[in-house]
Amino acid sequence: MNTDVKPSWMASRMPCLGGWWAGLTTPSMAREAPYLAVLPWLITAGLVFLTASGLVLAVYYNPADAFASRQFIAREVNNGWLIEGFHATGTTLVFAAAYLLLLRGMLARSYRAPGELVWLLDIVAFALLLLVGWLGFALTGGAAGYWSVMNATNAAMLLPGALGALGTWFFGGPDGPGTLARLLVLHIALALVIFFILWLRHGAKKAATPLPAPALRVAFHPYYTAQYFVALVVSALIGCVLLFFYPHFGQSPLNNVPGGPLALATGAGVPWYLAPLAGLSALFHGTYGGILGLAAGLVLLLALPWLDRSGPGRRAGGLWRLLTWVLALDVLGLGWAACGAAGGLSGLLVVVFGAWYFLHFLVLTPIVTALEAQ
Amino acid sequence: MRPVFGKLWLATGLLALLGGNALAHDRLSPFHFQSQGLLGSTDKAAAQRGFLVYETVCASCHTAKALHYRDLEALGLTPDQVAGIAAGVKTANGAPATLNDTFPAPKIPAGAFGGAVPPDLSDIAAQRPHGARYIDHLLTGYAPAPAGVTLLPSYYYNTAYPGGQLAMPPPLKADDVTYADGKSATVAQQAADVSEFLAWSADPNLDARHEVGLRAVLFLVFLTIIAIASKRRIWRETV
Repeated sequence: MNTDVKPSWMASRMPCLGGWWAGLTTPSMAREAPYLAVLPWLITAGLVFLTASGLVLAVYYNPADAFASRQFIAREVNNGWLIEGFHATGTTLVFAAAYLLLLRGMLARSYRAPGELVWLLDIVAFALLLLVGWLGFALTGGAAGYWSVMNATNAAMLLPGALGALGTWFFGGPDGPGTLARLLVLHIALALVIFFILWLRHGAKKAATPLPAPALRVAFHPYYTAQYFVALVVSALIGCVLLFFYPHFGQSPLNNVPGGPLALATGAGVPWYLAPLAGLSALFHGTYGGILGLAAGLVLLLALPWLDRSGPGRRAGGLWRLLTWVLALDVLGLGWAACGAAGGLSGLLVVVFGAWYFLHFLVLTPIVTALEAQ
Repeated sequence: MRPVFGKLWLATGLLALLGGNALAHDRLSPFHFQSQGLLGSTDKAAAQRGFLVYETVCASCHTAKALHYRDLEALGLTPDQVAGIAAGVKTANGAPATLNDTFPAPKIPAGAFGGAVPPDLSDIAAQRPHGARYIDHLLTGYAPAPAGVTLLPSYYYNTAYPGGQLAMPPPLKADDVTYADGKSATVAQQAADVSEFLAWSADPNLDARHEVGLRAVLFLVFLTIIAIASKRRIWRETV
């Protein structure tokens, strides 16, 4: 049926769907975007996947007896181990894509005008993702998660004023029998907020990206559907290798011990995607040290558009790109050291890698970008 | 035969030789478990023997709360055999256990072993790095304390245990169990068997995981090739 002459059955009854299909097939996109431009879409697809697998887990999960209910899912529920693996491996893939997205944004300097808002929304989504990831880790009920919740609730209670009130409200007081039930609700609700942030980001990105001349445009379908399909299949392949052959990738074995006061982690014990942040929070001592490290690490990312002193429109110089790659290795090293992988040297390495993180943003970024702008 | 095939045969022979050597090496030192490795699977015969050791020795002090008697069917035992095993076990209220009962908790006084609590063994292989190998080393790792090490009262020196001092007395003695398949029940054999059983207990889906995984990965490798080819073909029309 020709849609130009007569609207299709669906379009005449649900006009928004007809417009949606027309939008997909009208040439409106730039030609040959690189594969890595697919990352925001992959993150969204990954979150949909996590929502679906999380739904299955949620109906069998019991926050009052978290560890036993995970055992039940993995051992008794039909293919429960597979769904649990989907959720854990999906998280790994989403975080890998999120870290890559930030690295790519820094290398391409896409955070500068007019892309600041896109960058800010990226960081907000990333911070939310970390929080949701941490909540999921806490929900496992393992020993590592147990101590992480204990430390977080204690730190939140000690915060002064409104922040402390917010923290107390979030956790509902010190770690107790009802804590995981509250965290379960927040794990689900905040995950849905990420979708909203990604939707805002999509709008901001469209506004910040100039469209090519009409002759140079292609339609989303079939050109980008074909490209996105490749990205999706390759992600699925990586995910399957991890899920079926390295199911505990990036997780502490201690989290297979039921949480309790007698099982203590020697390192941070957090999954790999939280490890760099655990390193930053271990950097500062004192009552508020942990929260200070976390907040400072994320605020520096938020401030990047203003820490970069080069004018708009200049391409990134070689030195800046080199420094960004060094920062990527530094963050990897920070996470590695925070998990206690370096033995007795871990404490020292956390300080060295953490100090480089702050040096990079507060000193090297303004100086190098200002020099390159001249 | 064309020379290329000659080379192929030579390469295959060399590979077989190398592979054979590697396998022989694995089986001697360090000890090799069938459940280890990228495509490992549960050694059901060893796990059945391991269950006998577990039931005779370990279960007198340890729990394995996550395991039901019906789960043993995954080790190749028939439902009747498993029902027979369960019927020989008393649950907490004194009735014989059924297929749907979990392994019962043994009654040991709180002060036994100097107050040290025997851990639950359902997931012990997943809780320790290199689970199966660690358990095997622990069970065969008892030794006289070296000079300079002062043991705590009623503790035992063990080379595999972190810190070296363990409250569990050496649990295995040769010929404590009699294997149905006629294998000689040395301490090393019992340790290896119970390690394989506990590796299965911590990862009962290992066989299914590797089976499904291999198929999924092969399928996705081909799908990737097709997806890339179709993407290139579609984009060729735009140039």
